[in-house]
Amino acid sequence: MRPRPIRPRMQPSTFAAISSVLVEGFQVDAAAVSPESALDQLGLDSLALMEFVFAVEDRFGVRIPEERLDPRQAGVTLAQLATLIDEAVALKARGDG
Amino acid sequence: MASAAAAPVAVTGSGVVSPIGIGIAAFTDAVFAGRSAVRAHAIDLVGLDVPLVPVAAADFDAAAVTSPSRVPLDRATAMALVAADEAARAAALGEGSVAGERLGVYWGSGMAGASTFETTLRTVYVEHRRMRPTSVVTTMPNAPTAELAVRFRARGAALAYACACASSAVAIGEAMRAIRAGAIDVAVVGGSESLLTPGVVAGWQAMRVLAPLAPDVSADAAARACRPFAADRAGFALGEAAAAFVLESIDHARARGASWHWQLTGYASNCDGVHITNPDAEGQVRAMRAALADAGLAPAALGHVNAHGTATLAGDVAEAASLVAVFGAHRVPVTSTKAIHGHLLGAGGAVELLAAACALVAGRLPPTANTASVDPAFAIDLVTGSARPAPELRHAMSSSFAFGGTNAVLVASRCE
Repeated sequence: MRPRPIRPRMQPSTFAAISSVLVEGFQVDAAAVSPESALDQLGLDSLALMEFVFAVEDRFGVRIPEERLDPRQAGVTLAQLATLIDEAVALKARGDG
Repeated sequence: MASAAAAPVAVTGSGVVSPIGIGIAAFTDAVFAGRSAVRAHAIDLVGLDVPLVPVAAADFDAAAVTSPSRVPLDRATAMALVAADEAARAAALGEGSVAGERLGVYWGSGMAGASTFETTLRTVYVEHRRMRPTSVVTTMPNAPTAELAVRFRARGAALAYACACASSAVAIGEAMRAIRAGAIDVAVVGGSESLLTPGVVAGWQAMRVLAPLAPDVSADAAARACRPFAADRAGFALGEAAAAFVLESIDHARARGASWHWQLTGYASNCDGVHITNPDAEGQVRAMRAALADAGLAPAALGHVNAHGTATLAGDVAEAASLVAVFGAHRVPVTSTKAIHGHLLGAGGAVELLAAACALVAGRLPPTANTASVDPAFAIDLVTGSARPAPELRHAMSSSFAFGGTNAVLVASRCE
């Protein structure tokens, strides 16, 4: 099943951390990284995209449920990824994550 | 002997990452000096009776190597890329040197990604981390082959050979055959192995084939742990390495103006078909004779053998008997460079061919380090002490006799 749409309401600090993972860990040009950038337009293949999401999850110590995100799906933006991370962090802080 | 030989294949470039040196110049220097890289190494595992083993590690930073496929690299794959880059530079193999469909990759490794797999499983079982999405492609046996194919845009056959300690010798020989047969014009060939993680090292130690070290062993004694063909031999050290060559048909090499100093002239492989570990002199003799016949050479034409020479009790007995059977009264000078770089497993055939090529090019025979005198039971001319001048050297052999019974023998010849 396709993950349901994500309405982006991310924290700027979350986006900044995700950007640094992309630039430092995956050699993506910083100029190409904005909240509106789509994951599938970053020049990473599907395997690298999944490694990237793993790296972001590890950075925040959370997991995004598979049914919430498939990074290979066309058009998913970095802002949407950041929003999912914020949700997972909030869930974890409440103690049910 | 009348030359019934098949065509030689040019070796237009070489590269190496090894415990005794990174790059051809450093490697050559250490080979002739007989400088050992073997050290005492503590296995970081609980419950071992013998925690200290002899190991030859390469001074190599895998983190500095980028994967052409942008996936995490196994250490051996990183070594393979660096060695192959050196070989390609030496061969001036640039874009447009060869059509992609005419370029192959033939690569050998005994256990390829086993050390990465071990490390990954450790994080899963001990640290309760996840398997990563790239764990399969990092550890699959053809990972080095695939990364090399992407690096060089090779679109001919890209084949991974796994026949334990004969893997890279087989890979080189099979590439030679493919070039002779006209299937490809050029091949990036060789082998890589890096298995110095605790579990794999402990596995080798458990077979009791590694040279024993006293708990208070000195650095000097550890460096001399491996003594091939000596009466007091006691086993080998594990090492890690990659060696690469650019093989090329003579016509293709000439047409693009490449230069080369030595070429491959003979190859044979077979199997003992007898036992999973015990070597069998009969199979080794057949392999050496077949490789000589492939090169169109009589035994007396050979001036040097870089032996398999593992320094195990049984292994050296079988090999000495094989050498006597093949070369008889000719008493070809024999070296085992395993004394200094350790047993490189799947990379061994490629690295030892490189050492034999160093001898051909320099007209000198490397010594068998650590062995003061040959076991009197062996009627072979072992090169001991220091390098021996051999200005007339024209043809050399490198032998690899593997677990599983696979024997692979390569013959290399100096160009006039």
